Amino acid sequence: MPIETWQEQLRRGSLDLAILLTVSAGPRYGLAIIQHLEAFTDLIVTEGTIYPILGRLTREALLDAYWVEDEAPHPRKYYRLTRQGAKRLSHMKSEWRTFAGKIERLMDAASAAERNGRDSQ
Amino acid sequence: MILSDTGDSRVNGYLFVLERSLATFLPRDSVRDVVREIDSHLRDRISAAEPVPDERAVLERILAELGPPQRVAQAYSVERTVDEAVVTGRIWAIAHAVWHVAMSGASGFFAGLGLFIGYLVGASFIVIAAMKPIFPDHVGVWVGDRSISDGVDIGWRAGVNVAGSGYEHMVGGYWVIPIFLGVGLGLFFITHRCARNFLGWWRRRRSSFTVSVRPAL
Repeated sequence: MPIETWQEQLRRGSLDLAILLTVSAGPRYGLAIIQHLEAFTDLIVTEGTIYPILGRLTREALLDAYWVEDEAPHPRKYYRLTRQGAKRLSHMKSEWRTFAGKIERLMDAASAAERNGRDSQ
Repeated sequence: MILSDTGDSRVNGYLFVLERSLATFLPRDSVRDVVREIDSHLRDRISAAEPVPDERAVLERILAELGPPQRVAQAYSVERTVDEAVVTGRIWAIAHAVWHVAMSGASGFFAGLGLFIGYLVGASFIVIAAMKPIFPDHVGVWVGDRSISDGVDIGWRAGVNVAGSGYEHMVGGYWVIPIFLGVGLGLFFITHRCARNFLGWWRRRRSSFTVSVRPAL
């Protein structure tokens, strides 16, 4: 499997988490979410396809969407985390940390074994 | 950047195509909401851009970053139909989603074909069971009367035989109804579960459509 495919797979499952994290600090509109993701991650989101994902998260009641009419010369649709979304985010963060910790430990063990092997030679 | 009339027409043209593409599968209220949101996105992008080297080049770049309107509509379509199917499990929603997935690639096509056959066979058994009380002498399990050396298939089949071929006779009374009904509903249920699981798997897998890898610097 090419490294790009693996990297893609790695990023796949993290997009929902990234979006929920982005709106966890406060409500944001679509473009602001895209810009935040571009600034803080190396995920490149095809702009036109982030909106269907926001729509899905809204249908799943993890996000709440509402229009703000008077903030800019044109209306903007804002997304904020719902209570259910906050609960899901907390669960996802904990799962992510547990998973990352396990992989980290595995890599440490592999590095230690490698060092020991080199020393005994 | 403030758009000229030409630039404004280009944006409106993009939104028109998007609206037409969305209208084929989304309710009118949802279409209006989506188009309004994409319009808002474009206005934000445009107002933040500098008209360098010229308005047209900048506008085309902004539209290219958003993606062709048909592709944006397709992303909504797949997200929505597959989502609805997985969440609700309704037959029509599942059929709609399987059709979308089957059109999206070879693996989707073959999975869709398998699911279609499963539903078709299940439905056939149910129809046969329903027809038994109406045509009691023509619906049942048909067994071949002649051997294969006579050039006739000696197997059996379940179904309807109105004209009567002369090479087979019917066995089974009304007791075939619960059996056919059970087999039909069982097949239908299993296929439906498979379809729902497949769509759930496909939904998780396809999120790569929205994510691509930035080349290493």
